[in-house]
Amino acid sequence: MSEVKVQGEVSQTLFEYLHMEILSHLIESYGNEKKGEVISALEALGSRVGESMMERVSKDVPRFRTELDAMIFLCKQFWTHMFNKQVDHLKTNNQDMFVLYDNNFRLLMHLSESSQHQDKSPLFLAFTSGLITGALSNLGIKSRVTYEVPKMPQCFFQIKINL
Amino acid sequence: MTCYFVIVGHHDNPLFELDFSRHPEVVKMEDRRHLNQFIAHASLDLVDEAKWQSGNLYLKTIDKFNELNVTGFVTASNMRFLLVHDSSLRTDSIKNFFSDVYEHFIKAILNPFYEPNTQIKSQNFRKKILAVAKKNGVGS
Repeated sequence: MSEVKVQGEVSQTLFEYLHMEILSHLIESYGNEKKGEVISALEALGSRVGESMMERVSKDVPRFRTELDAMIFLCKQFWTHMFNKQVDHLKTNNQDMFVLYDNNFRLLMHLSESSQHQDKSPLFLAFTSGLITGALSNLGIKSRVTYEVPKMPQCFFQIKINL
Repeated sequence: MTCYFVIVGHHDNPLFELDFSRHPEVVKMEDRRHLNQFIAHASLDLVDEAKWQSGNLYLKTIDKFNELNVTGFVTASNMRFLLVHDSSLRTDSIKNFFSDVYEHFIKAILNPFYEPNTQIKSQNFRKKILAVAKKNGVGS
């Protein structure tokens, strides 16, 4: 009998459900007005998770010589580990700015493509922006992340690092 | 026989220390412990220099103090594992010791109740590291 290896499909669906439930729970408990606090709470959550995940994903990986190497590792291995796909496009100004483009972001994939609830879509990215900050801080890089959803399900993250 | 293991975090703070030394004179034990910590701390600069030169996780012996050697191991997330020892240990056993400790360290970090870059107070972790040390012939 051949061995079938399932690459963690169940845990990915569970993560998406959990993320949606965290969002709705935070919005309920803070109220609809206090979007800023919801976003801060999500970013703090994501930061802690990002640190631990980066420790685990970077096991036995040799140290990175430049920040660009670290960003490429983030876009490939780390993103694949979290969302089962790589970041579609990475832009940099070779100084301190990086932009990550994802054309089919997993956490937005199941939401409708209409622009009716466009203003609520940044809430879905707050956790992931915390994830990026936490992962980079574990590698020793301090960063600030801003994010936008031009059109569902595309999104991009702008990362500014301190050199 | 001296053997002192420490995990150093991002702010040069010790996250975990383990002393396996055994000396015939018990009186000098307290001084020895301070000395071991001092030697490890002083070699941190050399660790940082050595890590840029090689891409490997395991750095060979980086510093010598009288008859004691300091061996280092630096992970991708810049966590430094240092072992202060005399010349009675083989490099193979030290290398295996470091890899086993690395695995247990990652599991300890994944604990959501653990704050990163703080002291690892878990008794379970200490027991596991002692078992790893025994298995690899370090400190016994």
